[in-house]
Amino acid sequence: MTVAFKLPDVGEGIHEAEIVRWLVNVGDTVREFDPIVEVQTDKALVELPAPASGQILEIKAQAGDLAHVGDVIVVIGEGAAATATAGGTDSADRLEPSPAQNSYSVGPNSQAEDQAHTLNTATATTATMVAGRVLATPATRKLARELGVDLKLVPATGKGGRVTKEDVQRFHAGGGSAAVAQAAPAPAPQEAAPVEAVTPATPQAPAKPLAPAAPVTVTAAATDERVPLRGLRRTIAQAMVRSAFTAPHVTAFDDVDMTAMIKYRQEANLLLADRGVKLTYLPFILKALVSALKAHPFLNAHMDDERGEIVLKKEYNLGIAVDTPDGLMVPVLKHVEKKSILDIAQEINVLIEKTKNRTLEVSDMKGGTFTVTNMGPIGGLFATPILNYPEVGIIGIHKIEEKPVVRGGEIVIRSMMNLSLSFDHRVIDGAESVRFTNHVKKLLENPNLLFLEMS
Amino acid sequence: MVVGDLSQEVEVVVIGGGPGGYVAAIRAAQLGKEVVLIDKGELGGVCLNRGCIPSKAIIHAAKTASHARSAQNIGIKVGSVEVDMAAVQEWKNGVVSKLTGGVASLLRANGVQVVKGNAVLLDETRVAVETEKGMEYYKFEHCILATGSRAVQIPTFPFDGEYILSSTEALALTEVPENLLVIGGGYIGLELGTAYAKLGAKVTIVEAGPQLVPGVDPTLVQIVKKNLKKHNIEVLTQSGAKGYEIQDGKVHVTVEDKGEERVIVADKVLVTVGRRPNTEELGLEQVGLTVDARGFIETDQQGRTKNHRIFAIGDITHGPLLAHKASKEAVIAAEAIAGEPSEMDVVAIPAVIFTDPEIATVGLSEKEAKERGIEVVTGKFPFAANGRALTTNEGDGFCSVVADKETGVVLGVHIVGPEASSLIGEATLAIEMGATIEDVHLTVHPHPTLTESFMEAAADALGVAVHIAKRK
Repeated sequence: MTVAFKLPDVGEGIHEAEIVRWLVNVGDTVREFDPIVEVQTDKALVELPAPASGQILEIKAQAGDLAHVGDVIVVIGEGAAATATAGGTDSADRLEPSPAQNSYSVGPNSQAEDQAHTLNTATATTATMVAGRVLATPATRKLARELGVDLKLVPATGKGGRVTKEDVQRFHAGGGSAAVAQAAPAPAPQEAAPVEAVTPATPQAPAKPLAPAAPVTVTAAATDERVPLRGLRRTIAQAMVRSAFTAPHVTAFDDVDMTAMIKYRQEANLLLADRGVKLTYLPFILKALVSALKAHPFLNAHMDDERGEIVLKKEYNLGIAVDTPDGLMVPVLKHVEKKSILDIAQEINVLIEKTKNRTLEVSDMKGGTFTVTNMGPIGGLFATPILNYPEVGIIGIHKIEEKPVVRGGEIVIRSMMNLSLSFDHRVIDGAESVRFTNHVKKLLENPNLLFLEMS
Repeated sequence: MVVGDLSQEVEVVVIGGGPGGYVAAIRAAQLGKEVVLIDKGELGGVCLNRGCIPSKAIIHAAKTASHARSAQNIGIKVGSVEVDMAAVQEWKNGVVSKLTGGVASLLRANGVQVVKGNAVLLDETRVAVETEKGMEYYKFEHCILATGSRAVQIPTFPFDGEYILSSTEALALTEVPENLLVIGGGYIGLELGTAYAKLGAKVTIVEAGPQLVPGVDPTLVQIVKKNLKKHNIEVLTQSGAKGYEIQDGKVHVTVEDKGEERVIVADKVLVTVGRRPNTEELGLEQVGLTVDARGFIETDQQGRTKNHRIFAIGDITHGPLLAHKASKEAVIAAEAIAGEPSEMDVVAIPAVIFTDPEIATVGLSEKEAKERGIEVVTGKFPFAANGRALTTNEGDGFCSVVADKETGVVLGVHIVGPEASSLIGEATLAIEMGATIEDVHLTVHPHPTLTESFMEAAADALGVAVHIAKRK
């Protein structure tokens, strides 16, 4: 028996995912539940386990491809690899029919489904090369020549990595022939198309923000290194473009005198020393934010652009931006309003740990109502954070530094911390934003007040 | 150009009317070009007139004679077998003229103007043709050179048409020589040597190298060599013909046979030591083209020479000297001229040798694949286990297949046996299609036919052959 593993719905409502990395190769033997592939949805990086034990017969979606839920991404053959050749006698042609309702299913990869494959064509995944040739029939090779398509760049969907005529057509339709030019950019076409003249046009296309109407020609130097936009980076890029070109951002700055908070935290940590717990400022800041969000409900909201409605959230789920080697991820701490400072501290640690180990689940990334980006540990003075759309507010918190400030007509040294609050000006006006930061500021500067606010 | 000379303006001039030239002319005409084809001899070139076709006719006649002689082995009694070589030639010439006539009418049907004469390029737009009626001039946009090749002559054995023959004369003999000495054990020498042996000659083949048909897998040649003995053909390898004298109408050839000199007396000497491209008197220098040391013209994947107006195809370009290669290049060059993006992208060009039994190969041998660092699996099926081969009393030989170990993609097929020349067609298609040995194995082949050998060889490579015992 052969199992055609279809891309499952890895999270609620996700209908496509990018194949980031295969953890197995064709010919490898896997056991059921072994992780075999990493996929990136618009929410999270997810490892998918093998649906059955057997040999990997065929990988149908290559790293960089966008696969839709229901697409067959890998074919696994049952049992030992008896024959030396790939495929053995159990080939993908002999899949047994069964309903395709499960998250994965054993089913025929019918032609209709094959045609429904919409593997991303802009990526150059490897077709099988045998003895220095791409496997393609003479007629396919002819078509590729006619269309100016380099067969080596065409993602192959045919058996055993064969490039089919349809692959070539799909690649061409997706602007594939231009990929040749991308791979080897023509030197200095700069004069013909000045970048300055083109750039202002790009924000006008919010519908397809990653495909601006007029392409900007990138000049090439021999020393350039070209890094494909893949995986998490691509997800971040898409999310940022959508947010930046959808919500009119305004950022308000303020500073907070943290001197009292520093003392308060020191005392708290002393009390907690025998428990082996050490608090950071973040749990206190989150609590202060929840208090302010309750007082200013339009900041704890989503903008539903489709229906033209502002959705006021009654839960206080705070996203926490976490820096990882692969890029920014935003796990969400749920129901901050219901949790103690200690619980929050503990949960933040778990989330950060999961983020760094890339073991976050999709549910860990969903449901945010407001986002905190903590730049304190790294440095910097201010920032203009981009909203985690459709949320309408995000706050950047910065390093606590001793600074000279004026108190009662005298210059004194106080421990100061900057805040950068970005908000969606469609939902919130400047005055409201200042009232919000004032609220936060008041609580952080007076920890006892924060304590009194706690539910 | 002399004032007053008129040159006819055409889009494409093709020089040479062989399997390269006439195909190029027809394809260019199909694509709407106005075409002039210039040939100094008969349409069809060497292939139809002095090569492939006449030799296959002679070989068939020889095979028929041989079968008649051995017919009693299968219970058919035939009286004494007589060869009327003049009648054989007449029949052969009939075959040839049928085919050349076919070429002429195809050219006519496609509106190609055929000019008989010697062509010389004057510059990159003009060609002069020396015809029976005098000089003619043609002005072209593109020119396809397809002048083919001719037999190499060795200085010590200059062709004289009577005693020292090239393959051309050997194919036109009206009497079977009693003794025939063949210098050169390549495929032409072997084909014709075997044919004349079957027609009744005592044949000796002198080959300088250690192996007959150099360049072909020795395991294939081995089967042929066994049969040469059966036909009483003497093979001298690592031997050289030093010179000759004509005495009493016979050729006394001095042969150094593995260091020892001896004299072999023959009625005719056939020299088949290779062919060289016809590129000397074309006026290439007038269009800025040069040839390499062996006379070949450099071209790109479309057949275009360094001069963008001039294309070269077939035997005058690099690669095997084969009619089907020339025809393929012809189509590509014509399409390139018509602006199509055609190019030579074939994975493998098959080669066939009409020895007894036939040899046919396509793609990589096991050795070649290994030299390229490719890990392979191989499979082999002997015709002795093929029902059809036994019913025609032709159980010698085998079909072997070489495939990529990881993917099973067929890389090469090598056949020595009955109808190998026809069997290789399927193998070539398999290679072009990127078929795997599994594909070949799973394809139903008709029984009882020789084609089963390819399927069984593929099955053997997979370790699942039914009709041979598993190899240890």
